[in-house]
Amino acid sequence: MIKELSFALYAIKKNIQSSAELRTSFLMNIVGMTINNTAFIIIWVFFVKSVGVIHGWTAADIIGLLGFSSLSYGVVHSIASGIGLTAEYVSSGSFDRFMVSPKNLLIRIATSRFSASAIGDIVFGLVCLGVYSFLIHISIVQIILMVFLVVVSTMVFLAALIAVMSASFLFTDAHAVTSSLFELFLTPTLFHGGSFQGATRFIFTFFIPSLIAGALPVEIVRDVSLEKLVIVSVVAIVWFLLSLKLFTAGVKKYESSNLMTFGN
Amino acid sequence: MIPILKQSLEIFMKVIRLGSKIIQTLVRDRIYYPGKLMVDTFGMVARCGVLLLLYWYVFRLNNGMVNGTTFLIAAWSMFLYFAFSVLRLRGISKEIMRDIRSGTVEILLCKPISYLSYRMWWQVGTGLYSFLVISLVGVIALAFIVGIPETMSARIFIPTLVIVVLLGVLLSLFLYTAVGLLAFWIEDIDPVFWVVDKTVMILGGSYLPVALFPDLMYKFAVWSPFGASQFVTHTVYETWGVEWMMKVGIQVFWVVAFLVITLLLFAKARKKVSVNGG
Repeated sequence: MIKELSFALYAIKKNIQSSAELRTSFLMNIVGMTINNTAFIIIWVFFVKSVGVIHGWTAADIIGLLGFSSLSYGVVHSIASGIGLTAEYVSSGSFDRFMVSPKNLLIRIATSRFSASAIGDIVFGLVCLGVYSFLIHISIVQIILMVFLVVVSTMVFLAALIAVMSASFLFTDAHAVTSSLFELFLTPTLFHGGSFQGATRFIFTFFIPSLIAGALPVEIVRDVSLEKLVIVSVVAIVWFLLSLKLFTAGVKKYESSNLMTFGN
Repeated sequence: MIPILKQSLEIFMKVIRLGSKIIQTLVRDRIYYPGKLMVDTFGMVARCGVLLLLYWYVFRLNNGMVNGTTFLIAAWSMFLYFAFSVLRLRGISKEIMRDIRSGTVEILLCKPISYLSYRMWWQVGTGLYSFLVISLVGVIALAFIVGIPETMSARIFIPTLVIVVLLGVLLSLFLYTAVGLLAFWIEDIDPVFWVVDKTVMILGGSYLPVALFPDLMYKFAVWSPFGASQFVTHTVYETWGVEWMMKVGIQVFWVVAFLVITLLLFAKARKKVSVNGG
């Protein structure tokens, strides 16, 4: 296990070094993504101004929501960006080279690519969480909760990505299908958490765990709700284990479509 | 004079023939692979459906009215934004970037057709089938679920809707083509694309309908090319009957401006072709 992790760290380090070689592009991607994410703050802050506070959700909470979702999205897409390319690997036959690798299959795929723009998401997420902490006059307990919930939120993002990408093995050209499925998970993670109530809150917590990636962590930190913390943690672990099962089951269905190139 | 007219007509007919051939081919492709339509429909439900559900709840909390706008108007406005986005016109930026990075642009520039014209027709053809089907099904579904606002039964609604959609298509194509052409200079246009795309998303009234904008932001949405490319979302508002002529005028202005910008950029870019592959 430690060997696998040290390999993953080595691959991530090399990926970052490789991306940073093209310095201008690397920096532009980071800055561009940070500006790109600011759009969501503008939208939802104006939304709050127009419709008022909904179920206790203020403009500060929106900043917290975007902090959690951007940071966890950024972490997943920087260290495990390759998982998002599974559909392309499968359809092009490049997946074979991962199958024959002696390393752990999922780690090998995850670290096969690095997204420089994800660093922009991480920076944006950290800034948002910093601003949120300042706005709510955060306490020590809330800081601990926030750090723990970033881990939970990242786990859910990773689980959703793995689960969605497991569909790559079921369709001939699954890129469009997996993109749409991931969109279904991702879109609500950026939505105003207060407007998810009743059935929508239940669905987007348990069946599609989007709210665990942003809205629920904000509510837990704000209200210091241990009950919600336990639910969120359990659902995140269940989703993570389920996604690994789905991926393993998907790989068993894989049939090589290699064009005798062993990928590139 | 007559030979010039004849020559212009021939060029025009050539462009139309190229366009209809590309669109026919792509529409047949989409009909043959219905999975792509299903994916587009799923994407529409994932984004627009969830958003409408949330707005329905928010309007209910506010006794059915926010900023003088009803849920009915807001729902149609957002639906029109997402239906228009099914055309995937913004994808032209990435296609141009891909051509430039892979070196394909060299091959396409050598062909006896206009590269820009070919790319634009291709982009329209890619999303046309899904756009027509999803719009039709979406309109019927939304009409049954939330109803039809009075503004949509006005006589000017359909003719002006067609005009703003066509002008919106042209403006979006020129705007995103200009972004794509920057790849001749900076290769990775993603950061520029994100900024332009998000500005269009905000000012177009995607997640927040235009009617809920504060005054200054509304003015920016009306007068900027980013908001003007999505005027289709304005057609359901009560003010449309009075404002449509001004807004069509703004769209025409930006279409001409971005046509000139795109052609100038392309003329400069051709001289700068740098092939990395082949």
